[in-house]
Amino acid sequence: MTLLMTDPWTDRLSEYVDEELAPAERRELDAHLATCDECRTTLSDLRQVVNRARSITDATPSADLWPGIAARLTSEPRRAGLLRQVVSPTGAGWRVTLSIPQLAAAAVLLIAVSGAVVWLVQARHSPDELAQEDSSRPEAGPGVTMADFADAPYDAAVADLQRVLKEGRERLDTATVAILEHNLAVIDQAIRDARAALAQDPSDLYLNSHLVAARQRKLELLRQASALVVEGS
Amino acid sequence: MTPVQAEGADVAQAALGDALAFERLYRRHTLRIHNLARRMMGAQEADELTQDVFVRAWQKLGTFRGESAFGTWLYRLAVNLILERRSWWALQRSRLHGDTEPLDRMATPPTRPDLSLDFETAIATLPPGAREVFVLHDIEGYKHREIASMLGISAGTSKGQLHRARMLLRSALK
Repeated sequence: MTLLMTDPWTDRLSEYVDEELAPAERRELDAHLATCDECRTTLSDLRQVVNRARSITDATPSADLWPGIAARLTSEPRRAGLLRQVVSPTGAGWRVTLSIPQLAAAAVLLIAVSGAVVWLVQARHSPDELAQEDSSRPEAGPGVTMADFADAPYDAAVADLQRVLKEGRERLDTATVAILEHNLAVIDQAIRDARAALAQDPSDLYLNSHLVAARQRKLELLRQASALVVEGS
Repeated sequence: MTPVQAEGADVAQAALGDALAFERLYRRHTLRIHNLARRMMGAQEADELTQDVFVRAWQKLGTFRGESAFGTWLYRLAVNLILERRSWWALQRSRLHGDTEPLDRMATPPTRPDLSLDFETAIATLPPGAREVFVLHDIEGYKHREIASMLGISAGTSKGQLHRARMLLRSALK
């Protein structure tokens, strides 16, 4: 029977490539590599494999998987699970806590929305232009959806939600209330800025879209916060 | 707004139930998740696994506290889900077939003809343990102690599997 002799260093070559050998072992293997052609060849091959793996590129899925995911989102029981994560018992009942990073991140978005409106106002109107009185109201062009400042249903919905939030705010922890109030203040400022800018140029599509977006975000934020209050009661 | 801030805002919105915001997160991360699934479990499983990852992420988004980047959190969730499926598939194989090695070595046809067929195909034909360690270490950059923790093996076993995978893949580059 012939015994197949294997080089004991062969199995350590990956560790050598990854620099995971102890210094003394590395010196020994260095000395061995100086005299062993086969190990040097194997070492070179292993380095090629590692380099090839590091340069591997990602392949795009053959189909868009989002429709399948979206369909499952509507059927998965998520909202109750979310509430279980954020509602915790206290001695007096239940308090609702939203993740601070989540609310802070939402605040960043709202600041960006309001900041964009302010930037736009400053970029599109020089101080002289803003100072001029424009008695003629430009006609809206085709396809321009004008923001309706006197939106009674919207105002009524906001008022209702604000009342729910006000009556149930003791169910929210202090930090959550502070962030919600900050977010609402940011949105309200964005709405005021957009309205002021639109007063100068009612047909501006960009400003109109920002006003609509800000109003929608206010409504959504109030709806979500009120729902949490109601669920926690 | 920086990309990090924009993603943070999308996470916050998605956690409140905004599916459009979650779609943006999906578009940003699906490539990496799908490729991880494909390399770990094979092309046939990749689409379904990817969908499962994002559905689970949607369900667990309320637990994301922002202590790490969202991509890091999502990626770890994907690895955990893939390893759960690996265990389930291993159990199914053991119930149906006494010897799983021939099945494990069956080549998985690539999904894209313009891929580097030899190397990716060779990865797909690695034995499961060696393939998982190779993908996690050499492609995804995990350390052996992390891999050992994920797979429930020792760091020494992880090193052995990695070496085994590399030695088998040498021929794919010749």
